[in-house]
Amino acid sequence: MKKSHIVLLVLVAAAVTIIVSMFGDFSTYETFASAAQDQGKQYHVIGELAKGKSMEYDPLKDPNHFSFYVQDKSGQVSQVVFKGAKPTDIEKSEQIVMTGYMRGDVFHCNKIQMKCPSKYENDQVAVANQG
Amino acid sequence: METLYIGEHLGPGQLGHFFAILSFVAALFSAFSYFRSANTENTDPQGSASWLTLGRNGFVVHSAAVMGVFFTLYYIITNHLFEYHYAWKHSDLSLSSKYLLSCFWEGQEGSFLLWSFWHSVLGMVVMFTAKKMESRVMAVIALVQVALATMLLGFYLGPDINIGSSPFILLRDKMVGAPIFSQPNYMEFIKDGNGLNILLQNYWMVIHPPVLFLGFSATLIPFAYTIAAIWKNDYKEWIKPTWIWSLFAGAVLGTGIMMGGAWAYESLTFGGYWAWDPVENASLVPWLTLIAALHTLIVFKVTGRAYIMTAIMFILTYGLIWYSTFLTRTGVLGDTSVHSFTGEGQSLYWHLLIVILVLIGISKALLIARWKSLPRVKSEEQVSSREFWMFIGSFVLLLSAVQIIISTSIPVWAPLAKWISGKEIAPPVDPVAHYNSIQVWVAIVIALLSAAVLYLKFKTSDTRLFWKRITIVAAISTVLTLIIGFTQKISMAQYAVLLFACSFTIVATINYAISIQKGKLMKLGASVSHLGFGLSLMGILLSSYNKEVISYNTTGVIIPYGEDKMENIRESMQNVILYKNITVPMGEYDVTYLGDSISANDPRTFYKVYYERRDSVTGKVVESFTLYPDAFVNPKGQEGGMSANPDSKHYLTKDVFTYVTSVIDPSKREDTNTYKKHVMQIGDTVFVNRGYVIFRGFSTSVDNPHYTPEPGDIAVTAQLTLKSLGGDSMRVAPVYYIRNNFENYIEDTVADKRTYVRLSKILPEQNGAELMIRQPDEDYVVMKAILFPYINVLWLGIIVMVIGFFLSMANRITKKEKK
Repeated sequence: MKKSHIVLLVLVAAAVTIIVSMFGDFSTYETFASAAQDQGKQYHVIGELAKGKSMEYDPLKDPNHFSFYVQDKSGQVSQVVFKGAKPTDIEKSEQIVMTGYMRGDVFHCNKIQMKCPSKYENDQVAVANQG
Repeated sequence: METLYIGEHLGPGQLGHFFAILSFVAALFSAFSYFRSANTENTDPQGSASWLTLGRNGFVVHSAAVMGVFFTLYYIITNHLFEYHYAWKHSDLSLSSKYLLSCFWEGQEGSFLLWSFWHSVLGMVVMFTAKKMESRVMAVIALVQVALATMLLGFYLGPDINIGSSPFILLRDKMVGAPIFSQPNYMEFIKDGNGLNILLQNYWMVIHPPVLFLGFSATLIPFAYTIAAIWKNDYKEWIKPTWIWSLFAGAVLGTGIMMGGAWAYESLTFGGYWAWDPVENASLVPWLTLIAALHTLIVFKVTGRAYIMTAIMFILTYGLIWYSTFLTRTGVLGDTSVHSFTGEGQSLYWHLLIVILVLIGISKALLIARWKSLPRVKSEEQVSSREFWMFIGSFVLLLSAVQIIISTSIPVWAPLAKWISGKEIAPPVDPVAHYNSIQVWVAIVIALLSAAVLYLKFKTSDTRLFWKRITIVAAISTVLTLIIGFTQKISMAQYAVLLFACSFTIVATINYAISIQKGKLMKLGASVSHLGFGLSLMGILLSSYNKEVISYNTTGVIIPYGEDKMENIRESMQNVILYKNITVPMGEYDVTYLGDSISANDPRTFYKVYYERRDSVTGKVVESFTLYPDAFVNPKGQEGGMSANPDSKHYLTKDVFTYVTSVIDPSKREDTNTYKKHVMQIGDTVFVNRGYVIFRGFSTSVDNPHYTPEPGDIAVTAQLTLKSLGGDSMRVAPVYYIRNNFENYIEDTVADKRTYVRLSKILPEQNGAELMIRQPDEDYVVMKAILFPYINVLWLGIIVMVIGFFLSMANRITKKEKK
């Protein structure tokens, strides 16, 4: 057996290990209810802005606090708190993908991704509070 | 009955559509002729020559037709012919002329057109330089052009089934049934187009897409040569042109990718140049495999080894280019990408899938057919040889590409995973950490290899000399690592190792270029591009490791929001509110927002933010500068919206990066100048502009110059403390009294007369009060500021790397091959 083959085998083995372990990194799409089962664990939740519910963002009070309500795919409505500036055009969003965790009944998210029924090609806006 | 429409310009569209069909037919003809020419080469040289002429003519006609499509579309956009859907959707009257070209890359049709345009330009160059390989290489290029031309055909076979989409489709045909088109004079109502996405109205977006697409297109040439070589069963002649073309492709694609990074850095507000976004990854991955293929090609040239790996990787690179189009254009990425484009329907999905399968299928069939005669070397290479480690390096690059593409393609294979495991797989919660945690090790290995292989010789090396030189280099780089590591406080183990690896690359390449290559410019290609690679990694490491958000709320007031007081306050306070003319400290700067400004010929609003740095001892102003982050406020069709562009102060050693995250809505500005009602209990706090008010309690001892007690009065004051963000504490005591059964108030105000407080009601049952607080009109912006240290090292590294590529290219072109 060639030495290069041995090195390649070792590399492939390492790569397979890394790729298998990286599956642990992948998140899953959940609903508010299923995310609430594991409080504090980060998930992706897809939903839409709950109609007729209030949105709260007052930069005068706190520029890093935006609270709103989302109806997830199962129909459950939950309050969502985003620690950051209110994403522009969230009112017009068709769909919202949030990354975050449940604490009690409130979903705390650190990333919001919106799909707008926009005439623009690049119709997604992502907002994250990490710099 | 057909409606006769008034005011339409149908000519350009018909001409353009004609060119589109002509480009398809001519490409098909050219591909067929070149194919015949290649196949009759040995049996009928004369016939082969005539087929070659036909193929050339076909390709020239095809290229002319592509230009025709391009200029027709350009004419439609510049003349604002909004009866065409493309012009209506992607441009408007106010668009300044420098962005007119950007309309091309906003839409799907324009992107394919640009791609096709570059292919035909490069194809012309190949036609004149490929010599004996021309017929085969051009047959492949023309075949790919056939595939691209179908993307612009716009044949509609049914409501949802179409082959390609034409950029010349009329608005009324695109929106069949819209009531406006029942009027023959509908053009009188369509005064303006929708306009270009404001994100694309940036100078980087004028140059980044053409360069990136040139890079994409350039990968076709090594692919075409690879296929031609297998087809001809000749593995010698293709090496030189493939080498030159892959150097060109590597340089241009690399530049294009980093221009995208520069665009993201300067005009997107995610605060960085690289976010491991699927769209970025999709263009990075083919670059990685291209670089891997380039290196194994060199191994093959010198030693005759690694042919199969080289061929597979050139094919894979081009397949990945199409796959990246598939990822970004079909909407399959859906929810995962910042700049994922809308799905263009099922037709494009299948269209691209078929093209990819055909390209891979042809390549695979050829490889299998020639499998036995592909060049191989039986003997074993030396571990001390350069080729051995170059091969390992290329393989690591390939593995890195595999990891990135698996993670990026999650939305593609998630349905399968759901079918197997029942779980809906989503991308990692923190994609940056996910990719970094793996790719940092790849970077370390590649950096070390790219430096070390220079000191090895092909076939076999003097190991003692190698270790002697490497030890010296390692010693110098250790010193460099320690200096940088301590001054930059790099403490995490894997990043410290990376720091050593890139220091090692930098020291080793410079040393190699000077002491071994004696600075002979034409030979420096490899060492210069590897130096650039090391510098880029160093720049990435330094700028992202010590990236610092300086816009924390540093006023000393911790705002108690919600019940999660302790929860990661640092993370959540990256946005800071700046009131007009009020100075806020940020990092080492004192920052003041001085107001906004607009100009007549720019739709943006500019926010003037003044930075001042004082000496910590003397208190003297050491430096000052003004940044103008801007934003589109209420852009067309998006009332209440905002799209911000950052502004940066560039130093040699760092950047101060600023952008506005929220502004006071100009239309709502007056609202703040009214009383706001607050119901407070004793001990409560409410926030007001520039501070907060604490309600400490009531007092019946009223001491107010405006109040003269009378018998029978019931008088009470509310004891309030107003704490300003500046840290001052002021007492406010509004008076409430009942005289003759009537309620009376005496407002109180603080010294600067900015905040007026009225005690309007007493709520004994709640032990509280109703307070009315009025504050004057306040102009403010909410802003985020980030410090990027040493980002210039990254840009320098990229430039050095690209220079290295071009040096190698020049060296290859001028070098006479030994026969």
